[in-house]
Amino acid sequence: MSAKLKTPDTAELHESWAPERQKRNGLAASVQGLSKRFKKSRVLEDVSFDVAEGESLVLLGASGSGKTTILRIIAGLEQPDKGRVILHGKDVTDLPARERGVGVIFQSYALFPRMTVEKNIAFGLKIRRRPRKERRETVNRLLELVRLEEHRKKHPWQLSGGQQQRVAIARTLAYKPQVLLFDEPFGALDAQTRVHLRREIRALLKEVKVPTVFVTHDQEEALEMGDHIAVLNEGHLEQVGTPDEVYNHPASEYVATFLGAANLLVGVVTGGAIEIGTARLPAEKETRRFREGQSVKLVFRPEDVCISQDANLAEGCRRLANGVIEEVSFVGAYERLNIRLDLTHRRQSQDEPPLYQVTVNTPERMTGVPIMATRPKPEASATRFKPGDRVAVGLTSFSVLPNYTLARQR
Amino acid sequence: MAIKIASIRHVRGFDIARPVSIGVVLGLMLPLVLLPMLSIFIYGTSKGLGVFWSSLVAPEAIFALKLSLFTSFWATAFNVIFGLLAAYVLSRYDFWGRNAVIVTISLPTAIPTAVAGFALLLLWGPYGVLGRLLNGVQLMFTAYAIILANIFVTFPLAFGVIKPVFDTMSRSLEEASATIGATRWQTFWYVTLPSLRGAIVGGALLTFARAVGEFGSTILVSGNLAGRTQTAPLYIFAKFNEGQIEAANAIAIVLALLSFVIFSVLFFARDWLEFEAQEK
Repeated sequence: MSAKLKTPDTAELHESWAPERQKRNGLAASVQGLSKRFKKSRVLEDVSFDVAEGESLVLLGASGSGKTTILRIIAGLEQPDKGRVILHGKDVTDLPARERGVGVIFQSYALFPRMTVEKNIAFGLKIRRRPRKERRETVNRLLELVRLEEHRKKHPWQLSGGQQQRVAIARTLAYKPQVLLFDEPFGALDAQTRVHLRREIRALLKEVKVPTVFVTHDQEEALEMGDHIAVLNEGHLEQVGTPDEVYNHPASEYVATFLGAANLLVGVVTGGAIEIGTARLPAEKETRRFREGQSVKLVFRPEDVCISQDANLAEGCRRLANGVIEEVSFVGAYERLNIRLDLTHRRQSQDEPPLYQVTVNTPERMTGVPIMATRPKPEASATRFKPGDRVAVGLTSFSVLPNYTLARQR
Repeated sequence: MAIKIASIRHVRGFDIARPVSIGVVLGLMLPLVLLPMLSIFIYGTSKGLGVFWSSLVAPEAIFALKLSLFTSFWATAFNVIFGLLAAYVLSRYDFWGRNAVIVTISLPTAIPTAVAGFALLLLWGPYGVLGRLLNGVQLMFTAYAIILANIFVTFPLAFGVIKPVFDTMSRSLEEASATIGATRWQTFWYVTLPSLRGAIVGGALLTFARAVGEFGSTILVSGNLAGRTQTAPLYIFAKFNEGQIEAANAIAIVLALLSFVIFSVLFFARDWLEFEAQEK
C-alpha cells in the first residue's frame, strides 16, 4: 500500500509542507521540565525532550502514563503547571492552541462531518482567509499526495478508517504545521490495516519532512515509527533514545520489560564480572560504571540467549551458566525455550567435565532459575531440543542496571 | 386448548399475539385520535365550502390566526436562541448549581399552563411585583403578554432537543478546529452549528407547534379581546361559546392542518435533519 504513495514527481513538494521557520539540523520542538497535576494525582513530572527537524519521536507508555497529556500540552489544549514548550525556537507555552500552528491527528480523526474531504482539507486556509485560487491549488496537491483525488467530494463517513486518517493528515499539512502530533493514530484500526497504514504514514512523513510526535502504547509501532523513542512511566520519562538504544540498551527495568520480553537476574559486581549465584558472567565494559560489590540487575532479551549442548558456545557469546531445557514451544516465526539455570552448583575444578546438576525430574529442578530464550527457525531445526536436555547458556548481549532497593533512588 | 394454540403457532408460524395486539392498537387509535380529527373536517365542511370559506376570512378570524403566528414566531425565535445558549453553557461548563439551573429550565413542562398564566399576571399585572415598576405601562392584556406566556410555556422544548446533541458531540471536533487555527466564533459557526442543524430545526418546530396551540396561559394574560389579543385557540373557544360552531370549526381546521404539516416535516425530514448523526 505504501507503493500507492507518490514518490518520483513530488520532488518539488518536499520542502513545501514543512513549517517555514524550519532550519536545517535545528530543533523542531522542545519540551522542558513539564509538570502537571490533575486534582491530587501527578500526571507529569519534570518531562523534557527534543524533536529534531524532520524527525519523528514516539512517546511510548502504558495507558495513564501521561503521554496524551504531553501531546495536548504541546498542542495547547492543556496547560502545564510547570515547564515550557518551544516550537522552532519560539516559546509557545502561553499561546492558545489556535496560534501555535501545530497539526493534531486525533485518534478519532475528528474530521468535520458536515464538510466534504475537500472542505475539510481547505478549512485551515479558509479561516486564514487565503485566496480561493491558492486554496484550490493546495487542496489539489494534497489530495494527490495522500491519494484521495477520487474521494474529494465525499463526506468523512463514506471513507474507510485509513482514508479518513489521510484526510486528517492532509488537513493539517495544508497550513504547514510547526509539528505534527499523532494521538494513538492506529488505535481504532484492526491489526492488518494497522501494519499497512504504519508503513504508509511513515513513507508519507519521510516525504513531507514535517517533524512529528507520535503517542502510542504499542511497542512494535514505536520501534517502527520512531526515529527516537521516549518511554514514559507514570508521568516520568524513563529513557529517550533511538529504537536500537531503548531496545538493546534499556536504561531501566521498566523500559526493558515494556519494550518486549526481557529476562532479569540479580547479581553482584566482582572484578570485572557479574556474579549471579555461583555463575560468573565476564562483563568488563558493562560493569565499569559500577563499584565493586554493588548489586546489579542483569537484563537480556530472549533472542540474546545462545545455547549449546556441548560446552562450546558460539563466537561472541559469553558463558553464563549451565541449564536444563524445561519446555519447548513454537510461536510462529521462532522457537521459544524455557530454561532453568543452575546458579547454585559448586565451582568446577580444573579437570572436571562440565556438570549439569539441574534436572527436570529431581527436586533440584526447583532450585533452577527460569529464563526464556528464543531461536530463529533455521537454528531450531538444525539442533532440536527436548525437555530435560542439558545445555550451556551464554549471552550475546545484555544490559547491566543498578539494583536500587528503593525506587526513590532513581 | 392452550396446547393446541401453541402448536398451531409453532407448526404454522402463526402468532396469535400479532393480530390481537395490532387490533387493540388500531381499535384504540381510531376512536381516541383519528375520529375526533376527522369530525373537525366533516363538520367544518358539512354546510358547504362557501360557509367554511366565509368563516375563515372573517376579519376577526384572520386576525386571530395572524396573531397566533406572530406571537408564536417570536416566542420560538427567543426560545431557540436561548435554548442554544443554555445548552452550550450547561453542557460545556460545570459550575456550582448547574443541575439546579437545568431543573429550573425544565420546570415549565410540569407546570399547568393556567398556573403559568396566573403567575405571569401576578408578576407583570398592573399591581404585580414587577408590573408596579412599569409606571403605568400596560404589559398584560397585549400581544407582548401573549409572547411572554408562550416563552414561559415553551421554554424547555428547544433546550431539551438541543442539549443532548451538545452532550454527545465529540469534543475533539472543536479541539481539532482550534488547533487548525479557528477562533471560538469560527469554530462555533463552521463546526458546532452545522452539527446542530437538525436539533435546531426540530426544536423550533416543536416550540412553534406548542406555542400556536397554547390556550391556558394565553387566556389569562391576554384578556381574550377579539380583534386585539385573541389568538386562534381563544377564537375557537369564544366562537364555540357564542354558538357559532362553523366559525370555530374553520379555524380548528386550519390549526389541525398546521400541526399536521409541522409533524410531517418532523417525521419525514428526520433523515435529512439527522443526516449528521449517521456521519459520525
